[in-house]
Amino acid sequence: MFNEQEILSTIQMVKSEHLDVRAVTLGVNLFDCVSHDLKVFKQKIREKIITKAADLVSVCDTVGEKYGIEVVNKRISTSPIALVGAPFNADQMVEIAHCLNDIAKEVNIDFMGGFSALVEKGIANGDRALIEALPRALAETQRICASVNVATTRSGINMDAVLDMSKAIKQAAALTADDDGLACAKLCVFANIPQDMPFMAGAYLGVGVADSVINVGVSGPGVVKSAIERAIEASPDLSLGKIAEVIKNTACKVTRVGELIGREVADNLNTRFGVVDLSLAPTPTVGDSIGEIFQALGLTSIGVPGSTAALAMLNDAVKKGGAFASSHVGGLSGAFIPVSEDLNIAEAAEKGYLTIEKLEAMTCVCSVGLDMVPIPGDISEETLAGIIADEMAIGMINNKTTATRLIPVPGKKAGDSVYFGGLLGEAKIMHVAHATNKDSFVRHGGRIPAPIHSMKN
Amino acid sequence: MDKLIISVLGKDRPGIIAAISKSLYTLGCNLENVNQVTLQNQFAGIFIVLPPKDLSVEAIKQTLVTDSAGTGLHIHVDLADTDPNGDQAVDGEDFVITTIGPDQKGLVARFTKLIADAKVNVTNLRAVFEGGDTPEANVMVYEVYITPDTDQKGLFAGLRDKASELGLDISIQHKNIFQAINKI
Repeated sequence: MFNEQEILSTIQMVKSEHLDVRAVTLGVNLFDCVSHDLKVFKQKIREKIITKAADLVSVCDTVGEKYGIEVVNKRISTSPIALVGAPFNADQMVEIAHCLNDIAKEVNIDFMGGFSALVEKGIANGDRALIEALPRALAETQRICASVNVATTRSGINMDAVLDMSKAIKQAAALTADDDGLACAKLCVFANIPQDMPFMAGAYLGVGVADSVINVGVSGPGVVKSAIERAIEASPDLSLGKIAEVIKNTACKVTRVGELIGREVADNLNTRFGVVDLSLAPTPTVGDSIGEIFQALGLTSIGVPGSTAALAMLNDAVKKGGAFASSHVGGLSGAFIPVSEDLNIAEAAEKGYLTIEKLEAMTCVCSVGLDMVPIPGDISEETLAGIIADEMAIGMINNKTTATRLIPVPGKKAGDSVYFGGLLGEAKIMHVAHATNKDSFVRHGGRIPAPIHSMKN
Repeated sequence: MDKLIISVLGKDRPGIIAAISKSLYTLGCNLENVNQVTLQNQFAGIFIVLPPKDLSVEAIKQTLVTDSAGTGLHIHVDLADTDPNGDQAVDGEDFVITTIGPDQKGLVARFTKLIADAKVNVTNLRAVFEGGDTPEANVMVYEVYITPDTDQKGLFAGLRDKASELGLDISIQHKNIFQAINKI
């Protein structure tokens, strides 16, 4: 039996504070589809994904309706295509991307992740082909998401891959110049990529997991913001330790919702439940923003001094709440700060509170990194590679995931507007110092060695 | 002797449960279940007791009424039919239906008719009507037990249509979501 307060607070979380299940992602292992014949390979991956995912959308909708919690995005992640498609060349990789795109349309999902390569210690033939295929694959498809892991704490940073990715990003932007470089919004460069992440664009199914698995991404920045506001309204002098406790308790509740929904979807699809990824992921909707949490905590805007400390507290409290709620927490589990996808963060950047340097500092203490950041289109390959390398270094040294999803917008400069639409949002282009410099550092290539603390055995 | 069900109604004040349970104890009755609720300032208590074999229902009632004379309490005593309901399926599911919105006469009657027509049992109902200028202060919460043979879609669609017709905000959710969020 529940009291009115319990029932009404739950309804308020859903109806007023945008609590939802942001993504239910079905991971599909494609290793049993491997063939040297492209036609056979495409046929096998098609059969396998459609068999596994035929009911994904209807099951998610039914379960969502049962609990009154919307499952906003239904998605699929696959084994890294660079591995399962290793015999193929770049043109054939583009064909595979088209095939996956058609499958995504057929099963009615908005994004499919897994057009991915793991190259932290070197680039194999399949990896090379996939990276070369990336610009066309992303420009010619709508629903394919790609990720390339170029660094780990155990292996160091593959600087050859960093430069290759810089070139691929520039080319992908050029091929989608009419859409403000939209292809780059579907491409992440990672350090320490998690193999069970449900969120796009980085989701892929790792090599050490089951044949199929349901991973769930739960969001809820609006719920956290409202909980903080209520607590401070009730007690204006509340200490930060107490506020962290409020965030932790809220994150715990949100995580339990995700696990409940995820397990039921997995049962209905006769597949295994993987993890809940509790990441505070915003949308371009007022009240569904990470940036607004900073204001609830008493800062003028995300980006002002104090923001990194606030984000550190937020991210840690979210992890602690999630860990208490479920034994199967994975993925990124923290706070995202994607610039164009969060109305409030985009405004902070426009007003000058948030710079790319401050964003980089904040990525030391939160999930992801330089996410959905539009930058001037004339940025040099060297400077772009330098930004990526800096972000990878933060991940490598701090034994955490970091990533970049940078969009060098062709023909536009700092302060110009870009519009990606939908969940990808809109923003002003951020200023990048020395954007057109051609510093030779990244062209030395090779691998930045793994840090001393990687030697744990 | 079979179990008895005893209901006690009256204006709430300290000591009602203590007085009734003292009388029952003195009579040698064993309390098996007790529940109470207070609506505004009105008390309602339900007791299921196992009386001694040699005591009649009438004798017990007489003692309780005599003991509580002058308190204004209304006491009813009867044999309890504690056999399980034959039509209660064991593999049903509990849903919580919540409506929020402007108070008006007949709300409970209209919703419970739809629920009854679908042969669904209401296992718990709370309605709080504070009226005034804040429609969101008027809340009805029905907990219902949906069996596999219930036309769930039809019932839920009917309830949503009725809520829309009456200008109410309705939520229909499986009980487990409240369990997940509130009970750790």
